[in-house]
Amino acid sequence: MLKNAKQERLIWLDIIITLITSQIMAYFYYGARSAFVAGIAVVTAAATEFICLRLRRKPFTADDLTCTSDAMILTLMVPTVIDYKIMVIACVFAIAVAKNVFGGRKNMIFSPAAAGYVFLLTSWRSQTLQFTEPHVHTGLFEKAANLVSSASHTFNVSGKLEYSNFELLMGNCVGPTGSAYVLLLAISALILLFRRDISAGAFIGSISGTVIMSLLSPTADSFHTSVKYALITNMVLFASVYIVADKRIAPKKDYYAFFYGLFIAIVSYILVLTMAKENAIVIVSLLFTPVALALKNLEKRIENEKKQEEDTAASENEEKLEAETNA
Amino acid sequence: MRKKNLILEGLWNDNTVLSAFMVISPVIICGDTLRNALALIYAFSAITFVSVLISSFVPQRLPYAAKIMIYAVISSIVFIPAKLAAQEFFPGVVERIGIYFPLLAVNSLIVFQTEARFFRMKKSRMMISLISYILGFDAVMLITAFIRELFAYGTINSRMVDMDTLISGLGLPFGGFIFLGLFSGIFRKLRSATERNKDKEDA
Repeated sequence: MLKNAKQERLIWLDIIITLITSQIMAYFYYGARSAFVAGIAVVTAAATEFICLRLRRKPFTADDLTCTSDAMILTLMVPTVIDYKIMVIACVFAIAVAKNVFGGRKNMIFSPAAAGYVFLLTSWRSQTLQFTEPHVHTGLFEKAANLVSSASHTFNVSGKLEYSNFELLMGNCVGPTGSAYVLLLAISALILLFRRDISAGAFIGSISGTVIMSLLSPTADSFHTSVKYALITNMVLFASVYIVADKRIAPKKDYYAFFYGLFIAIVSYILVLTMAKENAIVIVSLLFTPVALALKNLEKRIENEKKQEEDTAASENEEKLEAETNA
Repeated sequence: MRKKNLILEGLWNDNTVLSAFMVISPVIICGDTLRNALALIYAFSAITFVSVLISSFVPQRLPYAAKIMIYAVISSIVFIPAKLAAQEFFPGVVERIGIYFPLLAVNSLIVFQTEARFFRMKKSRMMISLISYILGFDAVMLITAFIRELFAYGTINSRMVDMDTLISGLGLPFGGFIFLGLFSGIFRKLRSATERNKDKEDA
């Protein structure tokens, strides 16, 4: 029990460290406003979690700080210039409705960040999908001017991107606050994978699904370009690390988690291809919640059956031994 | 059961929507504006009251399946003048509500609660209980529509209100579903709190 609790806190700590690095990059590209939005989101999430736990008559422990990583993930998926009020409402929704209503930290059904993002998309679509250019620093209480669509939107509509490989690698393109830094995300993914903080099966499944689909149905002239853009755009890499491979949601065994990630990637790729649905992977990962639950149940059932078989085999052996000794 | 308890039964203790989760689809799908809500309240109240009243004269000796079919036929007949009147009083709203309007004719109060509850009572008590259940639905519908219209569209009965931030997702079915879930949770919490207070007073 103690080991589990420690494990949970360490996972949260590792994830929050990788998220902070993305937040630092965001500060470099978008200025103090990005840090301010993140601060508001984290404080709101912690306050909401505290109130929800009080209402449920449960103590607020260090483990409950995991809500702050959800708030950080949500912050990195939205534009820096988003209205503060909207951010507060989204965080309250993510923590209160998507997490605590369903039983809180120990009974997670949805990724709170994904639920919060879909809520933002349905309620404030234009505010969620309109961004400033990188290096445009908007003041804390200024209204942003010259908002543009993201690089993902441009790619979904035209199939082309006018950014160099270096710019894409460094995230120097129009997009959400912190989900475009490919190099940083790749390093974060590796760290989290090696430290077993994210579900390796789900992550590899998601990436494999995207690669397979972009090879089967390329969106660019060459396979190489198609795979590159498919992974970089539409928050595929970011969502694969922080949402699809979230250990709280994904099936425990890598074998099942792989197929969970694979199906999410395939469906979201089809949605992007046919409907040019921006950031479809976040929406699909939310819709695939029943699949994750079904796979978890399947895992449990198989484990129980194995245990029963082992127990019966052990009892048969004991009976045989007893019979032999009696003889 | 005393008359006061009978009135409170459908409104508070055993609310059609919040307690029993019956007739929730029109509340979730169409309960996003007060205009829709008023049309649905009128239709639900008229169809349910008249249908249950007429159905109460159906002989109870008949087989259960036959009685349910007769109730459905009665409510379908009652639905025709109710719809014509609704088109007169709420022009355009009936079309907007779509399939959920005719579905009111076979709502759970008519189909299930009649046999399980209403027809086991005396006529006078049945009337009081029925009205209480209908009012329970009406109140929930009205509150839900008011809050959803205000926060989703920034209007009250189609009149603009000075709202700074609108949550348009609340006007969608998924928003309605989440809202109703939270509303039901708060309702149950309040109900159990009042019951606890009552028990303390009794003790």
